Amino acid sequence: MKPTLTLFFTLLLSSIVAQTTITGTVTDNKGIPITGANIYLDGTYDGSSSDENGSFSFTSSEKGTQTLIVSFLSFETLQLSKEITEMKNLNIVLKEDVNSLGSVVLNAGTFSAGDNSKASVLTPLDIVTTAGSAGDYIAALQTLPGTSNVSEDGRLFVRGGDASETNVYIDGLQVFQPFTATTNNIPTRGRFSSFLFKGTNFSTGGYSAEYGDALSSVLLLNTIDEPDQEKTELQFINVGLGAGNTQKWKNNSLSVNAFYVNLKPYQGIIEQRVDWIKPYESLAGEAVFRHKFNNGLLKIYGGLNYADFELIQEDINVAEGINFGLTNRNLYVNASYKGSLGNDWNITTGASFANDYNDVKIVNTDVDNDENSFHFKVKLRKRFSNRFKLNIGAEQFMVNFTEKAEDPGFDTFRSSYDNNSTAVFTEANIFFSKKLALQVGARGVHNTLVEYTKVSPRASFAYKTSSKSQISLAYGDFYQAPQQEVLKYNSVLEPEKSSHYIVNYLYQNNGRTFRAEGYYKQYNDLIKFDTEIPRFDSSFSNNGDGYATGIDLFWRDNKSIKNLDYWVSYSYLDTKRDYRNYPNRATPNFAATHNLSLVTKYWVSDWKSLLSTTYNFGSGRPYNDPNESVFQNQKTRTFNSLNFSWAYLISPQKILYFSVSNVLDFDNVFNYQYSNTPDVNGEFSRRAIRPTADQFFILGFFWTISEDKTDNQLDNL
Amino acid sequence: MKTLLVLVTFLTGLAVNSQSSYQKGMTKAFETWANKNQDEAVNLFERIAKAEKENWIPYYHAARILVVTSFGLKDAAIIESRLKKAQDFLNEAKTFSKDNAEIFIMEAILNTAYVASNPSKYGMTHSAKVEELYQKAKVLEPENPRAVLYHAEWKMGGAKYWGKDPKVFCPEIEKAILYFEKESSRDEPFYPKWGMNQVERVQQNCN
Repeated sequence: MKPTLTLFFTLLLSSIVAQTTITGTVTDNKGIPITGANIYLDGTYDGSSSDENGSFSFTSSEKGTQTLIVSFLSFETLQLSKEITEMKNLNIVLKEDVNSLGSVVLNAGTFSAGDNSKASVLTPLDIVTTAGSAGDYIAALQTLPGTSNVSEDGRLFVRGGDASETNVYIDGLQVFQPFTATTNNIPTRGRFSSFLFKGTNFSTGGYSAEYGDALSSVLLLNTIDEPDQEKTELQFINVGLGAGNTQKWKNNSLSVNAFYVNLKPYQGIIEQRVDWIKPYESLAGEAVFRHKFNNGLLKIYGGLNYADFELIQEDINVAEGINFGLTNRNLYVNASYKGSLGNDWNITTGASFANDYNDVKIVNTDVDNDENSFHFKVKLRKRFSNRFKLNIGAEQFMVNFTEKAEDPGFDTFRSSYDNNSTAVFTEANIFFSKKLALQVGARGVHNTLVEYTKVSPRASFAYKTSSKSQISLAYGDFYQAPQQEVLKYNSVLEPEKSSHYIVNYLYQNNGRTFRAEGYYKQYNDLIKFDTEIPRFDSSFSNNGDGYATGIDLFWRDNKSIKNLDYWVSYSYLDTKRDYRNYPNRATPNFAATHNLSLVTKYWVSDWKSLLSTTYNFGSGRPYNDPNESVFQNQKTRTFNSLNFSWAYLISPQKILYFSVSNVLDFDNVFNYQYSNTPDVNGEFSRRAIRPTADQFFILGFFWTISEDKTDNQLDNL
Repeated sequence: MKTLLVLVTFLTGLAVNSQSSYQKGMTKAFETWANKNQDEAVNLFERIAKAEKENWIPYYHAARILVVTSFGLKDAAIIESRLKKAQDFLNEAKTFSKDNAEIFIMEAILNTAYVASNPSKYGMTHSAKVEELYQKAKVLEPENPRAVLYHAEWKMGGAKYWGKDPKVFCPEIEKAILYFEKESSRDEPFYPKWGMNQVERVQQNCN
């Protein structure tokens, strides 16, 4: 009996500890052995690392079907379930993780400025420390290739497109009035303070099907998900005052800031070309609230902006000038939620609302207009694997516009419209390998005001040619509804259309980036009218067309010279269009053939100073001289400007900032205005359109108060 | 009766066996690390973590090796892949131990590694995070010697950069030494206890 029992237990014991040997090799998809991969049975201690030949071998006492896990840095973790006794001489091929550094990126047309983006050519800090930008992120983007320098306007003119062809989004939702209200030849600025944003994607063409109603370009701004810490920030500038505060509690955070600008004292000292009756004054307040849920993040952004000015605009036809006054009030609210729905589904949804009110006085005419705009979007993303992701989404836009114009000379004139449109989009993201990626999508839009339905395809493709370089291609069709100035008089037009064809080459190596992009953009159905500006009695048509083609070059290097970071942008642009009241195809005034920017930033440790310079060059801009028989065949002199700024860090949290634009005092001319009627000699006389002042000085003090005493506002400058 | 005894002994043996496989595994992983076989040690800790479930300690040590060894590496892609993996391990660790000072400290050191690898790229973005993590750790455990020592080192680095005297933080190191001595009485197996041997290095700022 006893021996039997002992034997029984011995057998039992040995059956429990009976060992199975698991063997195999691990390689990448080219068959190159992977050394140091971690191979183990899920839920057990049994495992091993692969040797220099990629081979592994270990024993296990587990039985039945088991899951083998193979993981290695920069590769996707592999799981293999099978009968343990069959785990012999396994040939395991790991796939490269396409999310890792060194993967190809779909970047044709896009400049991205973010902290972690692989395609990043600029960081948010780079944008705001650019001399001449005066804290305006839009001005800094104008040092990138593909943009034309149109300093008297301040908005983005991309690849032969005018400023209305660029749309701006915050957290994926449209911003309807991204620029401060202004008038002819007084440059505007971005309405939003740069420090709320953590990343920027600036697409100069060929962008995703998620975005529409823009012929040339989209600018995508993303707000910060979670502020690092609580802090108070104060700004004292020669043209205004600002303050901000950030609080964090539990899963919430709130940032508020306010800024007051009054140009009166400044303009009292520095002579201006414009006769200001009431210099520009504005008050802006912004707040962002964020709440983290278990599976998602809610962000609510609100901004309120009030601005007021009055001036006498010089005019060749009116000797005493034209009295122009404007009061603008703008409210913008944006709420977005992104989260996980489980099962690799993600949702991004949100809504934005804007109310924009203008009270404009032009001599005796009083114009009041009010625009309410609403955007709702929902986007779902399914991740089938790291290599295949699908986006589908829908959006609704509603714009209600009313205007009342009163003048003692004529009856009160009212106009209004409701511009509503619905869009759906879908896009697939496919990584064939770490080297080859494709994105294809389509967008359909139906507009109830102008009554059209259009479908536009989008595609982009990228191939990694070496570990440091890649080429990409992009194609897309883009539609844009007529602008407010036209819609208020006519709504039977078709949308304007453009098609983009883009080839991009990117080289990135250890702090050096070279990017070259060639493009061709075809414009169709551009809106024409037979009066100088759109009027109620104009006759409108879609008979315009045009093209833009060119090459954009970008070079950045922050390694070759210690403490020096610089970039050079060059754009060559060949464009002609027949639109508005043009008699034939011609190059518009905003499109200079050559644009060049050189931006340098030099950090002087001993002085704790960041010295920045920006040099902008633009070849002569076309203008029309009625004394000539050919339309728009004259060119202004070349544009030159050298800007300088100096940020001195008194202590980690106190910064003294000084900047001056156009240091060398170049005399720049943007355009000419000709008289409507010839003089006694039969000549049309003219006046030059020039900057309101040749130079602009900023002196500021920025003070951050926070627990850790290291954070500062360099990223606000 | 005897049968029962054998059975009991046998079953107890099994139980002890499974208990000690954690002990054995962890001991082996630390030995492997001590033998300069860091990547192998990371793999061992990862395997133990996956087998143990709900135990943050092996994840913590796997992350710790990846972080520590990333200092001094040159290739940005390799540094990023290691720190990313380390962050993944710490995220796993956090799901099993929510408000854990040791994990916050390791995360602070991980972010310091980012800053050290490329100050112009990560300095502005990661510095505030490092600071916040040390503060969080100190709120949870005011007398944690690693929090005190590494926070002091971090602040000394900042002071040196700003041309200020790093020595003002030297009393913090003295405190850290005191806390290290107190800590040695703690006896949870494999609980983070390291750092005393780093005191001398940090103290060089005080000479």
